[in-house]
Amino acid sequence: MRSEEEAVAARRRSVGFLARFAGLLVVLYVVVASHPVNDAVIVPFTAGIARAAGVVLNLFSENVSVEGTEIRSPVFAVNIENGCNGVETALLFGSAVLAFPASWKRRLAGLALGFGAIQVINLVRVVSLFWIGTHRPALFSASHTVLWQSAVVLCGVLLFLFWASREERRPARALAGNDTEER
Amino acid sequence: MRLALGFGAGLAFWLAFSGPYDRVLAWSAETAIRTVESSAATLLAASAGEIRVDRADFPPASPRPGLAGGDLHFNFVMLCALFALNRHPLSPRPFGRFWIAAALLALTHVAALVFQVEALYATRLGPWSEAHYGAFARNFWAGGFHFYLIAGRFAAPFALWWWLERAGVEETGRRSGPRAGPVQPRRPRSRLRYR
Repeated sequence: MRSEEEAVAARRRSVGFLARFAGLLVVLYVVVASHPVNDAVIVPFTAGIARAAGVVLNLFSENVSVEGTEIRSPVFAVNIENGCNGVETALLFGSAVLAFPASWKRRLAGLALGFGAIQVINLVRVVSLFWIGTHRPALFSASHTVLWQSAVVLCGVLLFLFWASREERRPARALAGNDTEER
Repeated sequence: MRLALGFGAGLAFWLAFSGPYDRVLAWSAETAIRTVESSAATLLAASAGEIRVDRADFPPASPRPGLAGGDLHFNFVMLCALFALNRHPLSPRPFGRFWIAAALLALTHVAALVFQVEALYATRLGPWSEAHYGAFARNFWAGGFHFYLIAGRFAAPFALWWWLERAGVEETGRRSGPRAGPVQPRRPRSRLRYR
């Protein structure tokens, strides 16, 4: 009887999380895709990613120049567009973190750390894709569409699972800490 | 490690069956579109990783647009990687849940292709688009497909995995990761020793 109730509660929690996740994903997408936000935030942010990738590529003597969201070298050029700037993974991660039951302080910390980690992974992706495009152009399409895109999103999911599993253990740790202090 | 193995297995399966799957996807989306079209004019044909869009009322000499099928359904690889996180992904129950999730994911692929074709009709055929699609319809189809590209195709495998796999694991009491809800705090073991 009790296990049946627990099963129903577990199902309800899962469905509730997914409903909040889907709703937040739509809201965040509408915000990010709107023209004012895209022009004022997303495009300059993407140009920042291109500049950072240009700096890293030049450290490896790739002799690149950056103009806006485009990275060029004498033999290869890429334009970083929406879908390649890590924002899609950040949307997924942000929606999941905000939908998960935790304090706002923990959510904001998770969002900040997760967003930073996703951008570091995405920078590795942009740099490696440019290198592949320059030195192994036959592999560029598959690496761009399937491998790196899936890998970055999976990293975002793993970051969320790591954060969520820590949050789940938090009440138990807090209780243990309180008990010790009372003694 | 399991995630990487699942990713590799999913990638191999996807590469092997992507071509035949494109044909099934094209046929399913074509059927869906033609059932709601007044003149049933849409024809979708898949070949060499591309889904070619044709219409019975297109001028014979005009070029036919092609859509990359892989962009729609490579998220199957993500689904494989996520389900591989289970300790025994090939045992009957998780494996069955995986195929249920794959079937539901296939439905999202059909819906995405319908949105993509309609977005093409609504926004990329010049005067023909303006004559047949109003402002709301253009935004609906184009916005819906853009949402799939930016967020939906990544969210779908995650949501299906969470719904079918995580919830299933929780219900059978073999939970090994986070669950979406407040938990009952457990008493620390050390408490007994202090008494």
